[in-house]
Amino acid sequence: MLTVRKARKEMEPKQYLKLFLATRKPTGEDKQALLEEFCSQEQYLDAASRILALQDMLMKDFEKKNRIEDIRRQQVLIPNGTVGKPYEARLLPEQYGWQDMIAFRLEGVEITGLVYDPASGQLSGIPEQAGDHKLSLKYQLEGDGATGTWQERLLTLIINPDPRSLWKNRPSDKEDPYWKEDEITIAEKLGNKYLAVSSKRGRSHANTGGFRDDDFAFRYFSENGWSIVAVSDGAGSARFAREGARLACSAVVEFLGQQLMAGAFAEMDTLLTNAGAALDAEAQKKISHIVYHQLGGAAQHAFRQLEQLATTSGALLNDFHATLIFTLVKQYSQGYALLSFGVGDCPIALLYNDLQSVSLMNKMDVGEFGGGTRFITLPEIFQSDSFAGRFGFKWVPDFNYLFLMTDGVYDPKFEVEANLEKPERWQAFLADLKGNNAENTAVALKPGNADLPAQLSAWMDFWSPGNHDDRTLAILF
Amino acid sequence: MFGEPIQALNNALSGMINTLRSDAQALDSLWISIVTFDREVRELAPLTELVHFQLPEITCPQSGPTNTGKGLELIHQKVKSEVRKGSENQKGDWKPLFFLFTDGKPSDIQLYREMLPKIKALNFAAIVGCAAGHLADDSMLKELTDNVVHLDTADTATLKQFFKWVSDTIEQGNKSMGTVESLPLPPPPAEVHLVI
Repeated sequence: MLTVRKARKEMEPKQYLKLFLATRKPTGEDKQALLEEFCSQEQYLDAASRILALQDMLMKDFEKKNRIEDIRRQQVLIPNGTVGKPYEARLLPEQYGWQDMIAFRLEGVEITGLVYDPASGQLSGIPEQAGDHKLSLKYQLEGDGATGTWQERLLTLIINPDPRSLWKNRPSDKEDPYWKEDEITIAEKLGNKYLAVSSKRGRSHANTGGFRDDDFAFRYFSENGWSIVAVSDGAGSARFAREGARLACSAVVEFLGQQLMAGAFAEMDTLLTNAGAALDAEAQKKISHIVYHQLGGAAQHAFRQLEQLATTSGALLNDFHATLIFTLVKQYSQGYALLSFGVGDCPIALLYNDLQSVSLMNKMDVGEFGGGTRFITLPEIFQSDSFAGRFGFKWVPDFNYLFLMTDGVYDPKFEVEANLEKPERWQAFLADLKGNNAENTAVALKPGNADLPAQLSAWMDFWSPGNHDDRTLAILF
Repeated sequence: MFGEPIQALNNALSGMINTLRSDAQALDSLWISIVTFDREVRELAPLTELVHFQLPEITCPQSGPTNTGKGLELIHQKVKSEVRKGSENQKGDWKPLFFLFTDGKPSDIQLYREMLPKIKALNFAAIVGCAAGHLADDSMLKELTDNVVHLDTADTATLKQFFKWVSDTIEQGNKSMGTVESLPLPPPPAEVHLVI
C-alpha cells in the first residue's frame, strides 16, 4: 500500500496529463507536438495538480476508513475478571498491531472499579461490577490530530460475578414425605470415647431448595460395649436419595444391634478379651469370618430394606441410590477392635500410633469420572468377587481418631484417594480442624467441650471452589 | 447456516454463556469447548474454564459440505486427550456433556457412521442432538443419540429457549451417579420438539 502511494506522489502533473490524454484520446505520431504544447500550458498543469491532490485525498480517506474498519473487526481478547478478585492486565495498542495510533485513551473503565494507566497500559484494581462491560478505546490516526477527531473501538471486558454471592439459601420443602433437617450436629459420649458428628446440606442443594442427601446414625450398646457409627451419601442424581441414605444408616444400626443382642459377636469377645497385641492366624481367620457374615449381613439387610421401600412406595430402587460406610468399635482390656464395611466413595480412616499411622478401612469406589461410584442399592455389589474386599478389621492398643466422612469433605480436603493413606495429610487435616484454615474456624476436639457442636458446624461451612456438595463428618476420639 | 439464523445462533449462545455465568455451580466448575464443522472442522474455542471463557463469533460458509463425521473425529480426539480421568492421584472431571447442533445432514456419512460407536464409547453424561430448520436430518442424529430435539425455525426466540434448556441440562451435569448411568434430561421447552 505504501509503495503505491509513493509512486503516485512522485507522478508529475505533466506526466499525469499525458497519460490521461493518451488513454482517453490516443493521438498519432504526427500530433506529438500538439500534445506536448497542451501539456505544458500552465492552466492544464494546474488542473492536473488539483486532480492529483483530490485523488490523493480520496485515497488517504479511504485507506483510513479501511484501517478503522480493520481495527473494529480485529479480535481483541482482554482477560476476564471476577468481582472482588484482584485484576491485572496489560492493554496497549501496540499489542494488537496498532502502532499507527498516534493518540489513545480508554473510557468506561470507571464502572468496573478498575483503573487504567495509559503510560504503562496497566488495567488493574479490584472489579466491583459484574457484567459484559463495553470499554471505549478512543484513538487518533494520522491526520486526526489536526482536526481533533477521535475514532472509537469498543472492547468487551467480562467481569464474572463473585461466585460466593451467587449461592442462595432456599429452604427445603418441609411438606415432603422424605424431608429432613438441613443440618444436624451432635457431640456426645459414645461408650468410652467421644463422638462429634455433623451433617450439612451443601450449597448446591441450598441454592435450589434441595434436600440434604447425606445422613448418619450411631449408637452405643451398653449391654455389650459395642458402638456403631454409620454414614451415607445419597446420590445427587437419584430422586429419593436422602431417604435411601437415612434408611441405609438406620438399617445397619438396627440390624447389628439385634445381632449383638442375639450373641452373634460372642465368639469375638472370647477371642479378644485376653488377646495380646498380635493376633494369631487362627483368631484372625475366625474374626474375618464374623466380620464378613455380620457386617455383610447388615449391608444386605440395608439393601433389602431399601428394596422393600422401593416396592411399597412405588418408586424404583435406583431412586434411593446411596453409598454406605459403617464401623463397629469396642474396647477390650488390651486394645480396640474396629470392624468396617464400605460401598461408595466415602472413606473410613483410623489414626493411631500417636498420629503417626493411618489405616484406610474401606475400599473406595471411585470411577474415572467425577461422581461416578457404587451404591448399597446396586445388587451387583453383593455378587461381585470384590465384595469380600469391602470389609476391614483393625486391632490396635488405642487410637487417636476414627473418621467417617462423605465426599463433600473428602473431595476438598484430600482430593484424591492416594492422599488418604498419608499420615501427614491427616495431620494437616487435624491442624485444619484446629483452626489452620482460611476462615480461622477452630474446633476443640475435647470430650465435654460444650461449644463443640457450634464449632464443628461453623468449620463445616469452609469455602472450597467447586466443592459444594452435602458434607458429613463423624469423628470418634 | 448464514445470515439471520447464524446471527440468532450467536446471540442465543452468548445469552446462554451469560446465564451460565450467573449460575454459582457452573461458574465454579464448568469448562466449555466449541467445535464447528462445515467444509472445514475447527476448534473455535479450546476447552476453557467458564471464568476465562470468551465466546468467539461463529461464522459459516453459504454453501458446501457438512463434515459432521470429521467434526465427531475432532471431538473424539479432544475428549480423549483433554478430559481428565480419575485415578489414585488425580481427581476425575465430571462426565462431559455433548451438544451437537446442525441445520443439515452429514456429507461424510461413512466417516460419520464410523465415528458413532467411538463417540458413544466416550461415556458422555448426555449426548444431545439438535436439528434446526427443515433441512436438518433428525434420523441421522438419532443414530448418534436417543436425545434428539428439533427446532422448526432457528429464530432468536426459539434459539433462546433452546439454549436456556441446554444450560438447564448443563446445570444438572455434576451430580454423583452410578458409573454407567446417563443423565436424565430436563423437559424441553414448547418450541423444541423431542424427536421420538
